[in-house]
Amino acid sequence: MRLRNSAGFWFGGPVLVVALGMPVFLFTNSYNRGLLVLIVIYAIGGLSLDYIMGEMGQFSFGHAAFWGFGAYVSAKLALDLGISPWIGFLAAPLAAGLVGLLIGYIALRRTRGLELAIVTLGFGVLAWTVALRWRPVTGGPSGLRQVPPPGILGWELRSELSYYYFALLVLLVIVFLLSRLRQSRFGRAVRSIHENEDLAKSIGVSATRYYVLAFSFACALVGFSGALYAHHFRFVNPNLLGLQYMFIFLIAVLVGGTGTLWGPVLGAALFVLVSEWLRALQEYRFVIFGVVLLLVVLFMPGGVFPALRKMARRVVAGDRKLRDVPGAIRQPGTGGSGVE
Amino acid sequence: MALVETIGLTRLFGGLSAVDRLELRVGEGEIMGLIGPNGSGKTTVLNLITGFLKPTGGSVIYEGEEVTGARPDELARRGLVRTFQITTLFEDLSVRDNVLHGSHLTNPTSLVGALTRSRRYRRQCAEMEERARELLAFVGLEQRIDAVARDLSAGEHRYLEIAIALAANPKMLLLDEPATGLNPEEAAYLMDLIRTLRSNGVTVLLVEHNMRLITNICTRITVLNFGAKIAEGSPEEIVDNEDVVTAYLGKRRGA
Repeated sequence: MRLRNSAGFWFGGPVLVVALGMPVFLFTNSYNRGLLVLIVIYAIGGLSLDYIMGEMGQFSFGHAAFWGFGAYVSAKLALDLGISPWIGFLAAPLAAGLVGLLIGYIALRRTRGLELAIVTLGFGVLAWTVALRWRPVTGGPSGLRQVPPPGILGWELRSELSYYYFALLVLLVIVFLLSRLRQSRFGRAVRSIHENEDLAKSIGVSATRYYVLAFSFACALVGFSGALYAHHFRFVNPNLLGLQYMFIFLIAVLVGGTGTLWGPVLGAALFVLVSEWLRALQEYRFVIFGVVLLLVVLFMPGGVFPALRKMARRVVAGDRKLRDVPGAIRQPGTGGSGVE
Repeated sequence: MALVETIGLTRLFGGLSAVDRLELRVGEGEIMGLIGPNGSGKTTVLNLITGFLKPTGGSVIYEGEEVTGARPDELARRGLVRTFQITTLFEDLSVRDNVLHGSHLTNPTSLVGALTRSRRYRRQCAEMEERARELLAFVGLEQRIDAVARDLSAGEHRYLEIAIALAANPKMLLLDEPATGLNPEEAAYLMDLIRTLRSNGVTVLLVEHNMRLITNICTRITVLNFGAKIAEGSPEEIVDNEDVVTAYLGKRRGA
């Protein structure tokens, strides 16, 4: 537990080296570098969904709605009011966080678990419909085009490479702050509600208040990711609020590993790369993702990242052959393969 | 002065009264025992006082103020802290982290401090850690500080629950059958702990159905049957009370 907390961020050292080197060695043309940008954007979306899933132990089916909402807010500000995307990067999470506060307040006072998932699904569908129908504001089905890229001192971040390094920097800051947030009073309160809500209440944690705030925080984070998307791909449309992106974030979290900090980053990378590799299959890709997701959930219930981490630790410790039986790892709550 | 007082406290479950116009007073510094046969409404009373259940009627007074219907976390902030009948811990966390997570109300750290890991934050963390250590030493768990909570024995579970509750700095502790599942030796240790708590100024309301266990630590005992108070007094008075004996053992033949 302590190790997980304090070493969580630095475990990403190797991830960082790979991430920095990628565009230099492997992803050398602009199309492939665009994929890297996408990885970072999905990674932030995955991290934010994992805040709800891993830290709160809840589930939101409306998460992509906040992503799309953030994208629309920043795009709209830039297009209609000529406001700088840099301000949009702040306004989008603020707006998404405020809507998240409202939805969270309505939903979390009464619901948890499955009911919360259904309430948020309802909200997601509603938001998608509004984006589709409210033509004068949202541009209807075709959305908004020619969203401007951000610029620094007259130099626009148009190239994939510059945008990638910018987004990567932000991603690192987010992961770093998330790792510290866990040990803050706020992070501990959220964690304690997740672990045992009645006990948390009995020692003075205002459970609903903290859950609403945590939910709002996750919405703000995903709203920021949406703004990153809008100013890179330079368009927004109602699909951004739809289930397709919801599933992408979900895949990033589940494949990478819930509650593992770096898991969703790895999951996002795997998703984008495998998806690209299977490009020829078009829509059928999702069939394969469905199968992969099933296999991961069945055989690596913690996700890929914990499995890799375990392997890495074994190699480092050189205790590959120690009695430590695979599957003897304690899986809270699931009897499953526990050998002990 | 009574620290906690209930006036006409009533709770109906589908027309049946689980608690029926209960008048209960727990004075500051007391160890009040609340006993009664299974299903007599003891846990419901505790839930009503600590805000986990809303009463159907009547009121709860704490420190001279009406707190009927207040939320559990609000009451905890005012010093009213409970434990649960079924052992309730943060099972996946270490013993240390259980107490640290339980220290929500006494955690002085700021968000900015935590994010920047300021000198002040690190000092506050060290102090919290020190206090957690003291609490664990107090309940006799300092050797188990790094163990995962779910790996503890039944007795250790109970001691940890008390350490978590104490981390919230209670004025009054409400313990719901803390000795359930303990062997006589562990139960005796637990009762010693409770007695020490009292000498540290914590008022205790102890729910228990094992009468023998608490007659030697309680200052006063209230007996419930079918949600209503059937007796109240010193342990000696309770043990000899005809109604109490009847409630527990049934009517004597031919009596």
